[in-house]
Amino acid sequence: MSIRLRSRYTLLSLTGIALLGSGSLVYAQALTVYSAGPDALIERLAADFTAQSDIDINVFQSTTGQVMARLESERANPLADVVISASWESAVALSQEGLLHPYRSPNAESVPDFLQADDYVAQGISALALVWNRNSDTPMPTDWADMTDAVYANQVTMPDPAQSGTAFELLTGLVTAMGEEATWSLMEALVDNGMIVPGPNARALNPVLQGAKSVVFGAVDYISLGQQADGEAIEVIFPASGTVIAPRPMMILASSPMQDEAEQFIDFVLSEQGQRRVAESYLMPARSDVEAQRPTLDELTLIDVDSAAMGAQREALLARFRDVIGG
Amino acid sequence: MMATREGGRFSWPKGADIVLLLTAVALLLLVGLPLVYILLQAIFPHWSRGDFGDALAHVWPTLSDPSLVTLVGNTLRLGVAVVVACALLAVPLGALRALTRVPGGGLWDIVFLIPFMIPPYIAALSWMLTLQTRGYAQQLSGIEASGFLYSFSGIVFVMVLNVFPVVYFAVSRTLMSVSGRYASAARVCGAGKWRALWRVTLPLSTPGIAASLLLVFALTIEEFGTPATLGAQAGYHVLVTGIHQRFSDWPIDIPGAAVLSLLLVLLAMAAFYLQHWLVTRRSFASQTGKPVLAERAELGPWKWPVVVLFGFVGSVAVLVPLLAVLATSLSATLSSGLALDNLSLRHFEALLANRGGALKALSTSLSLALGAALLTGILGALVGYLVVRAQVRGKRLLDLLSLLPNTLPGIVVAVGLILAWNQRFWPVQVYNTSAMLLLAYTCLLLPYPVRYASAAFRQMGESLEAAARVCGAGFVTTFRRILLPTMAPSLLVSMLLVFAIASRELVASLMVAPAGMSTVSTFVFGQFEQGSPGVGMAMSAVAIFTTTALLVLLTVFTRRHLPIAG
Repeated sequence: MSIRLRSRYTLLSLTGIALLGSGSLVYAQALTVYSAGPDALIERLAADFTAQSDIDINVFQSTTGQVMARLESERANPLADVVISASWESAVALSQEGLLHPYRSPNAESVPDFLQADDYVAQGISALALVWNRNSDTPMPTDWADMTDAVYANQVTMPDPAQSGTAFELLTGLVTAMGEEATWSLMEALVDNGMIVPGPNARALNPVLQGAKSVVFGAVDYISLGQQADGEAIEVIFPASGTVIAPRPMMILASSPMQDEAEQFIDFVLSEQGQRRVAESYLMPARSDVEAQRPTLDELTLIDVDSAAMGAQREALLARFRDVIGG
Repeated sequence: MMATREGGRFSWPKGADIVLLLTAVALLLLVGLPLVYILLQAIFPHWSRGDFGDALAHVWPTLSDPSLVTLVGNTLRLGVAVVVACALLAVPLGALRALTRVPGGGLWDIVFLIPFMIPPYIAALSWMLTLQTRGYAQQLSGIEASGFLYSFSGIVFVMVLNVFPVVYFAVSRTLMSVSGRYASAARVCGAGKWRALWRVTLPLSTPGIAASLLLVFALTIEEFGTPATLGAQAGYHVLVTGIHQRFSDWPIDIPGAAVLSLLLVLLAMAAFYLQHWLVTRRSFASQTGKPVLAERAELGPWKWPVVVLFGFVGSVAVLVPLLAVLATSLSATLSSGLALDNLSLRHFEALLANRGGALKALSTSLSLALGAALLTGILGALVGYLVVRAQVRGKRLLDLLSLLPNTLPGIVVAVGLILAWNQRFWPVQVYNTSAMLLLAYTCLLLPYPVRYASAAFRQMGESLEAAARVCGAGFVTTFRRILLPTMAPSLLVSMLLVFAIASRELVASLMVAPAGMSTVSTFVFGQFEQGSPGVGMAMSAVAIFTTTALLVLLTVFTRRHLPIAG
């Protein structure tokens, strides 16, 4: 009897512990931030902000795709207050749907005009690069077109523009700089040379880190700059013929019940302290008057992309890209 | 309402109605509700915004996509190949374990449980790091097999190693409970050992084996990690990768993804009816509740070959991925490869410094997994009983409903749950709390206990319950004192599986984890995304060893009760 009783209580208390442990943590008054940015960055920003303002922050940190999927499925009852995406187009689209709260931060004065709008503003900027493994048997490349050379046969990976917003920006950049036909012949030459397109950014980069491949065509620079600082034998090369940037927009949802606090958070990220945190992640700060720890807009050759026009062609470009790599 | 009609039915223990009614309601709420929301989303593309316009506008464009035929074909081919390979590998292993004295006995059960605790995408990544050019295998021995790895066979190989334990455990548990008396009877009637196995023991075990193979099929067509990691390079795309693409490419196409998910569900339903047809053609009742003395054959001269076989499978399925995880987590940098001066604990130090809430993520995952195991265990036993014994209309629907989550990609269940629970009309806010994760795990993993429990009930004669009823026991007593103990072995194994899988579930966790909370898998995924594979692998290693240690402790402390220790 007592044994049976005990086992029943054990079961009950285990269930109780499990439910408590998984704790229904309902945060009463905290700002909810959905972020696609670097993990460590948003954590530091949140901690600094809370220390300064006494406003708690809950972060949902994931990829841009996941953040957007979550926003879309929460349409009936939106929960996010602030969204930080890695894709400029996503902000443009949300803005066009009227889902954003207009706000110009006083700290955004030294953010270049093309990196802000009435209802979104850049947090930081990354650029696209070639990432080359120093231990490989290949010479150090200098430009995109080098990758069609026989030395790099079967040695190149590229993130899938369908799954990586930044790789899509690169595609639009090449189309802008070289014209459609030249871009597709370049892509065909790359595929003929054995380039693979294994998936989103991290999946294109990992084979190069271990040495299975030698170069990433169109890697996001800040991740690789961080790895290089951590001792990985890689070089981040910005092609001389020009590259594209991927600004990371921050926005406040119009549905947010905490718009004052959300505005304070945007102000904080754009403050000198916040922008220094951005710089520590090897991103370019959005503000031109905060020092970067890496090459900045002035030092890179940039291709000026009309992202609204290119965004409109997205489906067509991706379909053509799929054709090229599939065929 | 139903409980008041007591005495109306003789085949029905007292108190059963109310319990079973509650069970059915729970099942409808857990599985039916998200499914209905997904269905509505497929029909009404603007449903998530509360708009019924453009009904069915998405169905035809999605279904007329010419690449869909390839996707469906690839999915089926993969599912069938993995089922066949699993059967060839795991049925002999399970039979050997159940019917003979394999040296090591219960130890192999623990070894074969570990593949469940290695998340599929980590396993696939480990095989990549091992077999690709300049991978660990080449660094150690010059072997390189990227051609094999990035091919259909490579994908099947990695997936089989992930899921074969489902079949191994089902076969060994079922055979253990069937063998003994019936085989002895056959032997008495003059059948040889092999004849008894082929004509009596194996056929009687059909429900358990068929159910596990169905599970494998469902798991394979639903699995995302392996096809996503290896499939892109192999040029092998399946439905699930298509669904994910619609969910994660801007602009997000939830209606299109919902339509594709319903296709997957149809595939699984076809498999379900095939299995149903197989196991209901005749009766498999073989358990009378009388204690069975497991009579295991001596292996004699075959002892060592069998040990080598078990050891080989164990090291390929467990050792290789674990070593690759450890090697990556202990290397200062990936580019310096396996070298003594590259040995570093810095990734583990980063974890210990609690970077990104690693330890909190671990405890969150473990407690949620425990909660999910208990919930699905209780519910699974009840649903299993309801499906096998109850004489109610619509029980086939309940049976199907309890299996469906296994065929639904995690991401679809997650979106269904968000659509269903993130509504203003619920009196209690469930969305954006950890309860969502518990709901997601319970929904996704309920099929395991249900399959195992209903297979156990099918093999259990009704005489046991009749006897209990004659002695005056009500439903609750009968269930607790007779039915639960009889099927405890199967149920516990399935709960261990639930625990193992819930502790590392990725896809749904990414979607429904409340802001500010991370689980082991979302943490690991984040580390990979942010370009810190070392920290990600370190976290995986910690999680795999913690869950394994917990299970080993559990089996040691409860040696008598847990089948897993033999």
